Amino acid sequence: MGEIRNFKSGNQGERPPHGAVPRRLAAIIVGDIASYSRLMQADEEGTHVRVKRIERDLIQPSIVEHHGSLVKTTGDGFIAIFDSPVEAVRCSIVIQQNLVGRNASLPKDSRIEYRIGVNLGDVIVESDDIYGDGVNIATRIEGIAEPGQVFISGAIYEQIKHKVVCGYESLGDRKVKNITDPVRVYRVLPDADAVSRTRGRRENILIFFLSLALLVIAGYVLWYMLAQPGSQVGQHAAAPPAVAPTASPTPAEPGSTAPAPQVAPAASPSPTAVPSPAALPSLVPLPSTASIREPEMVAIRAGSLAMGSIDDPTERPVHQVAIKPFAIGKYPVTVREWNECAAAKACGFTAIGKDDAPVTNVSWTDAQQYAVWLAQATKKPYRLPSEAEWEYAARGGTQTKYWWGDKLQPGMAACKDCGDVSADQPVKVGSFKPNPFGLYDMGGGVDQWVADCWHKNYQGAPADGSAWIGADCTSHVLRSGSWKNDARYVRPANRDSYDTNVRYPTHGLRIALGP
Amino acid sequence: MKIVCCLALSALLVLSSSAAYSQGKPAPKDARLYFITPHDGQKIRGGFWVRFGLRNMGVTHAGDDYQNSGHHHLLIDVNDPIDPKEPIPQDKSHLHFGAGQTETFLELPPGTHTLQLVLGDAKHYPFDPPIVSSKVSVRIR
Repeated sequence: MGEIRNFKSGNQGERPPHGAVPRRLAAIIVGDIASYSRLMQADEEGTHVRVKRIERDLIQPSIVEHHGSLVKTTGDGFIAIFDSPVEAVRCSIVIQQNLVGRNASLPKDSRIEYRIGVNLGDVIVESDDIYGDGVNIATRIEGIAEPGQVFISGAIYEQIKHKVVCGYESLGDRKVKNITDPVRVYRVLPDADAVSRTRGRRENILIFFLSLALLVIAGYVLWYMLAQPGSQVGQHAAAPPAVAPTASPTPAEPGSTAPAPQVAPAASPSPTAVPSPAALPSLVPLPSTASIREPEMVAIRAGSLAMGSIDDPTERPVHQVAIKPFAIGKYPVTVREWNECAAAKACGFTAIGKDDAPVTNVSWTDAQQYAVWLAQATKKPYRLPSEAEWEYAARGGTQTKYWWGDKLQPGMAACKDCGDVSADQPVKVGSFKPNPFGLYDMGGGVDQWVADCWHKNYQGAPADGSAWIGADCTSHVLRSGSWKNDARYVRPANRDSYDTNVRYPTHGLRIALGP
Repeated sequence: MKIVCCLALSALLVLSSSAAYSQGKPAPKDARLYFITPHDGQKIRGGFWVRFGLRNMGVTHAGDDYQNSGHHHLLIDVNDPIDPKEPIPQDKSHLHFGAGQTETFLELPPGTHTLQLVLGDAKHYPFDPPIVSSKVSVRIR
């Protein structure tokens, strides 16, 4: 590590033959192995051989492939320069993603993980080294990157934000050592792991605050009831669990049948109104709210995506869309969930089939009815997702053709040629791997209605993540493709249309929650 | 002997398939499905209207189960035979007109394309025998 950071102390004696100092603007990648000293201590020769192999097989070819040039390698790192910031970031992503594959089979403490920092700067280029502020900033950014991640400077971000399709997380302005001005730093979120890690951490914080809030509420309720006359003390047994499900974003497990925790929300706002805990289940004031099995939801944080692809005329042009935070169903709506709407006479038909299979033969109008019913019954803003939200959720922070990569893999989705047998019915929800956002069946399985009217391409599409609704809406957008479609339809960018009022046996829906 | 055997086998197959699937609603023998435009071999520049013709049957919405009526499906560059036991597929090469449309505006990439109409019943199954148009090919410049 020390060697890399020591650019200015390098071999300054040599100058290229031509007299003037050769300066140029370049995108600089600095990579460095995390815990190199520990790896060397554990297995000096083995580590050395592995590092050299990674440099030879992965790093050098990736740089060449992206039209960059390797300036130098050091014991535990490398420096490369690129004419194009886009190519520099793409190259960094390729290197990191390939390393994930190489590391997958190794135990944690013998993994070779690089931190990578990318900066744009005017630098002095010499035959075997480069010098300048730009290099030092790249090194500092690399220093704060987490192992396995790519951090980029604001200058790089400005160049690539609409060009490299992946997520960016702003880490704000960072003060870096020996550099006067703070540097804006972004984390690049190209791969599945990076996204889910971020999400995990944010969720943990969220859960922490949620439970804190719950504790305060529970404490207040306890105090309130203890302050009341003795006859009502017994209630506090019911009160704390009553609060929990209302605040949790995922109230219902699809497998569970006990309605008990969902009975409670109705009772919690007015604990004194209910005479005794024993009578609670039968005396629920709002029976419809109490018995509803809400689809399990996953919170999606705000972000942006490059929506669309060049694979099909309907998916062009690729355009940047900002997404506000929302929640989306972990699975497509199931037969069991649908039939609660049917039982309430709010949905057009009773679905047949296994309880945990996705509901099918749903028209857009049917899907909309379900969303309206669910919103009214639960008093929560349930709705159909917008097309942009669907694609953002389906991509799960990835920029690849499929969410798992560019190649078709068996066991990832239900489709005609995805490697699994097609049946008359789609298999039960959640039978395949979840995407990086923890969502199941985002691609294959059942076609899923979204709120948007059909437009034959994205010319004039909104950029704020809202549904694109037109005046004459005879057909709406379907996403995901079905178990009867081929692999092209499984792509997160794929879109199709169908008549608004017509049912078809492969069409289902997924619900969203948010204003 | 062999022929008898074959006949018996095919009869059995037909019987078993019609027994297993109650789909495949009977259609009038003289029903005819055809393209009003374009005609076979037509050269076209840009987008074009496709108009569907149907005689001796009626066009209705998908989902409406009336005798002797169905809705149109337009197959673009489809070479797979129609499976009478399955709903007509829904994808970018099988366009559905379940709202009872009898025409559509198509924009296809340059080259030669084939078009074919298939009539579907209330649940998108082909009729028995299938009501299909002859295949026309158009050349887009």
